[in-house]
Amino acid sequence: MRATCWMGKQKVSVERVPDPQILNARDAIVRVTATTICGSDLHLYNGYMPTMQKGDILGHEFMGEVVEVGKGVKNLEPGDRVVVPFCIACGNCEQCTLGNTSACENSNPTPWLPEKLMGHATCGAFGYSHLTGGFAGGQAEYVRVPYADFGPMKVLKALTDEQVLFLSDIFPTGYMGAELCDLTPKKVVAVWGAGPVGQFAIASAKLLGAERIIAIDRFPYRLKLAAEKAGATDVINYEEQPVQEVLRDLTAGRGPDACIDAVGLEAHGHGLQYAHDSTKQKLKLQMDRPLAVREAIMALRSAGIVSILGVYAGFVDKFPLGTVMNRGITIRTGQCSVHRYMKPLLERIEQGEIDPSFVVSHQLNLDDAAHGYDMFMHKQDDVMKIVMRA
Amino acid sequence: MKSLDTFRSGLRSDDAPSSDALARGLGWFSLARGAAEVAIPRLLARGIGIEPSPVTSLVTRLMGARELAAGVAVLLNPRSPLPLWARVAGDAFDLALLGLASTRRTSGLRLAGAIAAVGGVTALDIVASIKAQRKAVHPNRPVMFSVTINKPTNEVYARFRDFARLPEVMDYLERVTVDGKRSHWVAKPFGGTRTVAWDAELTEDIPGRVIAWQVVDSLISGRVTFATAPGSEATEVRVEIEVGKGHAGIAKWFAKSQVKGDLRRFKQVLETGEVLLSDATVTRKPHPAQPSEPEVIAKNPHVTNNRSPVEVQP
Repeated sequence: MRATCWMGKQKVSVERVPDPQILNARDAIVRVTATTICGSDLHLYNGYMPTMQKGDILGHEFMGEVVEVGKGVKNLEPGDRVVVPFCIACGNCEQCTLGNTSACENSNPTPWLPEKLMGHATCGAFGYSHLTGGFAGGQAEYVRVPYADFGPMKVLKALTDEQVLFLSDIFPTGYMGAELCDLTPKKVVAVWGAGPVGQFAIASAKLLGAERIIAIDRFPYRLKLAAEKAGATDVINYEEQPVQEVLRDLTAGRGPDACIDAVGLEAHGHGLQYAHDSTKQKLKLQMDRPLAVREAIMALRSAGIVSILGVYAGFVDKFPLGTVMNRGITIRTGQCSVHRYMKPLLERIEQGEIDPSFVVSHQLNLDDAAHGYDMFMHKQDDVMKIVMRA
Repeated sequence: MKSLDTFRSGLRSDDAPSSDALARGLGWFSLARGAAEVAIPRLLARGIGIEPSPVTSLVTRLMGARELAAGVAVLLNPRSPLPLWARVAGDAFDLALLGLASTRRTSGLRLAGAIAAVGGVTALDIVASIKAQRKAVHPNRPVMFSVTINKPTNEVYARFRDFARLPEVMDYLERVTVDGKRSHWVAKPFGGTRTVAWDAELTEDIPGRVIAWQVVDSLISGRVTFATAPGSEATEVRVEIEVGKGHAGIAKWFAKSQVKGDLRRFKQVLETGEVLLSDATVTRKPHPAQPSEPEVIAKNPHVTNNRSPVEVQP
């Protein structure tokens, strides 16, 4: 089959690789009908995530048609149309039974790698380095899905691929980010990053009833989409306006009740802080550039909540812990436990409360994956979300 | 076998903070002496009653460099016996040099004092070395690992007690046959072709709580305890493998490297019914996250496609 392989820093290519086969009884093989490039794939593309190997198949957002199931899978059969959560979870361990599927204790077959870096193992995930188990990803013609009796969700044909595809990651992730903010009507929330996850965080904050939603980015087209489609009430272009001052003005000095970081480890910015972080990151003295989360913490109202959705890999410097402590700030974060959000969010889509396809900007053939990565990384052609098909 | 409770407490008697105070003291003494020998060799030579010469200065400076190195080595790891034994060897060398000096140089009284001082330090070095050595090769410190399994204790106990099924999670085991309290184990360690076999005798068996065994005619024994995890129905499983003197080398290393993975697979099989494979772990050698050829996959014993699947209780 053809698959998008990571071949080195900023090098991906579509290669011929063996077809996947059933390895475990609870596996299914899915023919991918639609897949996308995620902002977090860019961290792999740019070489910021450790343990990547040449030839790793990328992609953790995909949906498709079941073509084969293992003997242990009773709930699916060939022909079923499914959306697959990016995190792999067994459904049996204590964390899974509590709903924390992104903390599954069984789905990572290489736990010794994250144990070294993060203290304990993470869950397994598709196409996301060997820290998350070394599973082939979904930017391919076919993909093997472990624990297929627990993860994939069947969807009816009435909805288009573009409407349900993002249930695999970014819609639940954005929704979780808003949910973690304990939003009630009359609350003010600021969202750093108006990329696809940021758009869904904004849209979800609106679904959850926030009164004022402020989007922060540097690309006018992204801020425009946030205001026109996602539901932002205010936008700040940080290259033109001083973020802290504007937020102070918008909230009459209080600061937002909640701040969402939908940026992660490759934050951009300017001035001394950005120079410091990018130099240290280049020298491998720190793994992440935490500019957005620093700014969010400083801007937040005292006793507010910072919700971190952006992906971080390891250790950061100059983290304003003193502010967190002295102003009673709560930090909430996590890889999204997609499994527990898929059904309720599918219902919202079915009832017409939201149409996730508003983020789609480009349709590509899988063969053009390399072009897609390059375009997405350089934010060319007003790119928002790229959907690829084999 | 030592009780598990000894290892529960964070502060074991032989890890108490005061136990390496002597080693640390000797380390600092080494640094001070080494610095003096390098900086003021002539003055020191006079102090111990030796007439300074270019040769004695050079020898003293070399001794000083050695002392500095020994001091750093001891202070970096005061519980390790090797740097301390190196100090003892250095002391012996010092004493030999002083003995040589006594045959030809002046001021016998000062030299005798120096010999007595070095002798005293040597005694302390020997004491510290022996103490550290005893701790380092303590034969009763078992290999320990633990895991929490989301199943009731009785079920976890019963699955472990069914020794004949352990090869499903312990790759290196070929088969286990049980005959009353005796069991016969056949293994192929390190993925090789050589077969190793042994008999084990059950020494303790409390349903739902403890299984302990002794490998016949050896100093290797094991003990597994099962306890209900706080606030849940899950089971805490703790494994101790004790490897006595004489086997301490390869057997202990093998146990250490295996037990953790064994427990993880044991948890997986009990909770999910199978040992999960990824594209990277289906082969023995490092492999990128992309499918392997079918003939490569077929070699992995955990590939369950061709076996009847284990029924999982939801």
